[in-house]
Amino acid sequence: MTTRTVRRSRGPLFLLAMPLAWSLAVFDLFVVGWMALSSLKTTREVVHDPWGLPSELQWGNYGEAWTSAAFGDGVLNSLLLVTGSGLGTILLAAPAAYVLSRFRWRLSGPVTVFFAMGLGIPGPAIMIPIYLGLDRMGLIDSLAGLLIVYIATNLPFSVFFLTAFFASLPRELEEAAALDGSSPYHTYWRVMLPLTRSGLIALFILQAIGDWGETFFALSFLREQKTISLTLLNFIQTMQYTGARWSVLFAGICIVVIPLLLLYLWMSSRLIEGIAAGYGK
Amino acid sequence: MATPVLERTAARPAVRVEGIGPFEAARRRMIGPFLLPALLVYALVMIVPSVFTVWISFNDWAGAGPMEWAGLGNYTEMIADPVFGQSFVNTMKILFGVGGAVFLISFVLTMLLQDMVGRKFVRAVVFFPSLVPGLVIAILWGFMLDPDGLANSVLEALGVAEPPLWLAPENMFTTVMAGMTWLAAGTYTVIFMAAADRIPRAFYEAAELDGASAVRRFWHITMPLMWDVIGVCAVLWAIGALKTFEFVLVFAGATGSLPPTGLWTFSVYAYAGAFPSDGVPRYGIASAAAVLTMVLTVVLTLLVRRVMGRRERTDY
Repeated sequence: MTTRTVRRSRGPLFLLAMPLAWSLAVFDLFVVGWMALSSLKTTREVVHDPWGLPSELQWGNYGEAWTSAAFGDGVLNSLLLVTGSGLGTILLAAPAAYVLSRFRWRLSGPVTVFFAMGLGIPGPAIMIPIYLGLDRMGLIDSLAGLLIVYIATNLPFSVFFLTAFFASLPRELEEAAALDGSSPYHTYWRVMLPLTRSGLIALFILQAIGDWGETFFALSFLREQKTISLTLLNFIQTMQYTGARWSVLFAGICIVVIPLLLLYLWMSSRLIEGIAAGYGK
Repeated sequence: MATPVLERTAARPAVRVEGIGPFEAARRRMIGPFLLPALLVYALVMIVPSVFTVWISFNDWAGAGPMEWAGLGNYTEMIADPVFGQSFVNTMKILFGVGGAVFLISFVLTMLLQDMVGRKFVRAVVFFPSLVPGLVIAILWGFMLDPDGLANSVLEALGVAEPPLWLAPENMFTTVMAGMTWLAAGTYTVIFMAAADRIPRAFYEAAELDGASAVRRFWHITMPLMWDVIGVCAVLWAIGALKTFEFVLVFAGATGSLPPTGLWTFSVYAYAGAFPSDGVPRYGIASAAAVLTMVLTVVLTLLVRRVMGRRERTDY
């Protein structure tokens, strides 16, 4: 149990910068609130009275967005992709990062750099060959094909990220486990991995954020199948012909954003819990 | 197997003497099964395609039909192109301008939030923009900064006679950069705070007893002890900035067409070569731009690592 001491020494610079943190937080909260409120207005109110409250809550916007604007299908597909790629990435990246950061052997440096190189490979640099490859395997317009691409493109960051987490753990833990007769596998599963739980959770959240709104690969490799970003893009394009339906658009945006907010709010407390559990006094 | 035997000294706590006992032998047998699956997927989906892309960059190819060897033709053509020059300037502005702002804001926020009342709440909230897909940020940002939108109605109420034209061509890129700063600052703040939270409280308590101010505590305790993480973030930022794509593309061209060339970055330039709004795709040029981005990334990464130095890890 950590008891946080209340700090009293606050310089003038500190007091000067304090409003920055709060104004940024207030601004972010305002945007979220404004977005949610706009999703419950009529289009007329959104455009002509952006500051006003809705005269009547238009819950129908959500039904319209979910069905007629097809956000429902997009959400389900994106949910599958996010969960699959998050778990798949961690399953592959955690053992690799462990071996690369905690073991001293000749190739650990070069292999780490080899993975890190992937961070610098932009989407367009691999898009054309991957398209040809997926096409040959019949995986164009398939969620499975996109899932493979997501997992692979997540790997460099995940390995990099988890390497830093593993490296920061005190070495005495492994030595103590070994002295207690724990096998290396056992040490990994029962000692080291649980200690990086906060890192794994943070990583899963970061992957989910990235893949949830991913546009470039989805646009390149899907045709009829839609993720949420494609649904959103598609809806904006059709607004040119059907007329502005801002209220439905904002409802759609809320459908895209609110699951992430909830995931984050739920997970962020667990993230702090994990750190406290691992390093509590 | 010659393991360099190093003295166990206080200055280098991370390096230990290690004999090849049965324990270490068992550890070495783990390397294969732990490493190979990730390595294989990564190599097949990222490395092999990028090597193929390098090869395409030396050819003229429209996707269908045979490739035609072009040597360095694609590269010389690209460098002579003024649109590419603009893309280069824009990418550098994002890399250094937005990067500087993002890191400064993140450091200040990390320092403030260590001690602040309501830190958990503020931390949760400043991360919001990072949660939202670039596409959505673009729509919101555009809607708010519309000439008749929210931002200007506030400025008018405050007595500003001529509110700035945020989305006018000459201001557009600055507006994009502001949006990117907003988007990224929260992400790095949360990463830095996670690192700062791992530092034992005792250090701070001791520093406080000595009368160190919040700024000094941050400078002398937090910064050095999360130096590793700062280095990682600097590399990640450089890399992310160089492949800036979605935000710019989506921001200016929400209807699916390409943004005006004044907003282009390296990646948009590459994308435009592969998917021109009119005419035949030029995979050669697209690949050349992508290859140049990769080369710059490698150079920058090495540079950052050199500048940050390979400090010894501090065990505590």
